Amino acid sequence: MNVIEVQNLRKEFNSYSSRPGLAGAFRDLFTRNYKVHAAVDNISLTVKQGEMVGYIGENGAGKSTTIKMLTGILTPTSGSIIVNGMNPHKQREEFVRTIGVVFGQRSQLWWDIAVQESFRLLKKVYRVSDEDYNHHMGHVIETLEIGPLLNKPVRKLSLGQRMRCELAAALIHNPPLLFLDEPTIGLDVLVKLKIRKFLKEINEQYKTTILLTTHDLTDIEALCERVVLLDEGKIIYDGKLNQLQAHAVEGKQIEFEFLSEIPRTSLPGSDNIQWEQKDATTWLGYINGDEQMVSQLISDVVQRNPIKNVRINEVSTEEIVRKIYEEGLALT
Amino acid sequence: MFNISLFFQYASQYLKTRLTYRVDTAIEILSDLLFQAVNLIFILIVFRHTSFLGGWNRDEIIFIYGFFLVPYALFTSFFNIWDFNDRYIVKGEMDRVLTRPVHSLFQIIMERMELESLFGVITGLVIMGYASVNQGLTFAWYDVLIFMLMVIGGAFIYAGIFISIATIGFWSDSRTDIMPMMYNISNYGRYPVNIYNKVIQFVLTWILPFAFVGVYPASYFLNKEEWYGYAFFTPVMGILFFGVAILLWNVGVKKYRGAGN
Repeated sequence: MNVIEVQNLRKEFNSYSSRPGLAGAFRDLFTRNYKVHAAVDNISLTVKQGEMVGYIGENGAGKSTTIKMLTGILTPTSGSIIVNGMNPHKQREEFVRTIGVVFGQRSQLWWDIAVQESFRLLKKVYRVSDEDYNHHMGHVIETLEIGPLLNKPVRKLSLGQRMRCELAAALIHNPPLLFLDEPTIGLDVLVKLKIRKFLKEINEQYKTTILLTTHDLTDIEALCERVVLLDEGKIIYDGKLNQLQAHAVEGKQIEFEFLSEIPRTSLPGSDNIQWEQKDATTWLGYINGDEQMVSQLISDVVQRNPIKNVRINEVSTEEIVRKIYEEGLALT
Repeated sequence: MFNISLFFQYASQYLKTRLTYRVDTAIEILSDLLFQAVNLIFILIVFRHTSFLGGWNRDEIIFIYGFFLVPYALFTSFFNIWDFNDRYIVKGEMDRVLTRPVHSLFQIIMERMELESLFGVITGLVIMGYASVNQGLTFAWYDVLIFMLMVIGGAFIYAGIFISIATIGFWSDSRTDIMPMMYNISNYGRYPVNIYNKVIQFVLTWILPFAFVGVYPASYFLNKEEWYGYAFFTPVMGILFFGVAILLWNVGVKKYRGAGN
């Protein structure tokens, strides 16, 4: 079953560029140079129930704009969106009862009142019965370990504490679909791990569909099987994360640390290998080929030279994404 | 029904926070009182120099002022929308409002209520009481109902005008300084409109109908029969302006562009 169905979605913003100088400002008063800028440019996307999808892209690639259209905040310029069987913008009030939203940079909670009072208000807003609330939220509060924070006002919480409370607040009505816009921004590793563990849990337990945007690609690695990569409002990749890794990176990098200084000539040479000296005793080998060739190379090098350490460097998703944005993507 | 109970939940939450800032609340009520006293003194000083203003005597003008305070108190308690553009559009708080299953304007009204302003109702009643005793006015039982109707009509006119202005924010993201200007203009409604020139009279009656918040409805209670037509038009204007405002709001929300992160 498709939870999200998006077809040819487009969102344009009118922006005007101001002319330079005072004379330019006067001219702007009368005629403006309007420019139509498509923040989201003909996107089509489907997400099935229970999927965890990572939505990534640089700043200004259109991530937030897409999320805002999917959550009914913004009206699309053209295209169709069906989320949870509804049109988010047309049926906004009915629709938002079926989703949970966390904006990492914006609080859902009331600043001045205790966390549990915020929860109580939200419980009322979402018309959650006492029974459902106790049953469901008891578990959420326990897993996120926010029990001791409940009677503190939000303004006294640390960012990590607040973020966990935000997450709990988004789940008060136990929505089948969760939008997380940079939920781990500025958090320390421990809190990040806690949040990831929790997200995995609710995904397994309730089959909650999760759409996640983040700049921290380790979040995506930990949570999402599927990634959607966005650049200048267009989807440039939509598929499995490990496939992206396999496709985007040719070969592997092997780091050899030798016991003594080694000249280039004592290293094996072939068309598929490139060498780069890192420091006196360390060489980096870039190999263009499969695991077979990697092990062949290692055995060659080790036989000839006394070695201290060998490391095969997996290329991180971060590097892959950086590479894609710098060099463009070869696949698709 | 749901909205009413939700409203009370917000209100009780509001009271809880206000009670933790007791001194702050007391100071706010006090400063409101001071402000109203200054306005009253201004009227008293004017009438040191003349005994009639456009055919209205001192006590009548004081009564109008007292009446004005009541719908104004309702308006300032529940429609704190003057900083809507800054708070909700520029800062993007509207995003949050739009992800909740309650009408967006109603949410903002609940979030921004300032119940301590309701104290102005009492001040207004006291001032009206004083002015009526001075003039020996008498009221029938149904005047209470008419009074409530007029007050709600007046508050709706205020709300309608200010909500309509707030919706400008949906179309234009530049800051506008219309709000403070509008607060100034609204003060003109506290005085009999016939002291102004025809253009201003027209504006205060039909364009920015602040006269319906003070002088027109008050003239009913002052038994000024020549103004009765206008007086009974107050609730109609209220519903009209409030209705238009909600319409503008619903159209505007669709134009909302959000704030960048």
